[in-house]
Amino acid sequence: MPEPPRPRSGPADPAARPDPPAESPDGVDLTLIRWTLSLTPLQRLELLQDWVDGLAELRHGRATED
Amino acid sequence: MAEPPRTSFLGLLRVLLHHGIDFLVVGGVAAQLAGAPILTLDLDVLYDKSPGNLDRLLAALREIKARYRDPAGRHIEPDREKLETLRMHLLLTELGALDLLGEIGAGLDFQALAGRTVSYQLGEARVRILELAAVIETKEHANRAKDRAVLPVLRQTLAMKAALDRDEEI
Repeated sequence: MPEPPRPRSGPADPAARPDPPAESPDGVDLTLIRWTLSLTPLQRLELLQDWVDGLAELRHGRATED
Repeated sequence: MAEPPRTSFLGLLRVLLHHGIDFLVVGGVAAQLAGAPILTLDLDVLYDKSPGNLDRLLAALREIKARYRDPAGRHIEPDREKLETLRMHLLLTELGALDLLGEIGAGLDFQALAGRTVSYQLGEARVRILELAAVIETKEHANRAKDRAVLPVLRQTLAMKAALDRDEEI
């Protein structure tokens, strides 16, 4: 699955178009939406599954520590 | 309380499709499939209440050992009468949390929303998903805190999808 985009580094090219905004006026992270829209529906579902599995791992880890 | 099994989204969808159930994916998973980066822990499904479909649905629920997520810990299984009459079934299964809905939003059922879907190929499965604009409408109608929290992300995603459809840069 493609990785989420990273911020570009290095000097800005003055001829280049300005970067699209990273955030909407009401605070929504637009970079995440651009990333998920670049995925196929199956990849989006796999991403959600990864999040759910990761959350379960964290919960399990915390329970083990307790 | 024992930790419930983590939800296997594809696993649940495969079981429903294997049994030939008429259903639409709604809620958070529908939004995620449309490209909205939101987290949800269960699969929300709007099911058709036709008699034949209820037979197939009950068979599928037996296969995955579905029971209600009962705060008192009682073991209550879904049955035909409940599926026919109740609006919402919050279930725990061997494949995780499955929310079955007879209607959503302003009393909209499967037949009312069947024309507002998109189909996605998910591996070997082709699944009908409630379109994002309709997901937003149902969440606006529900107007719970958890719905209001995700609405800005859903609206922004819908706007950016529309821009992509117009070949505009996002």
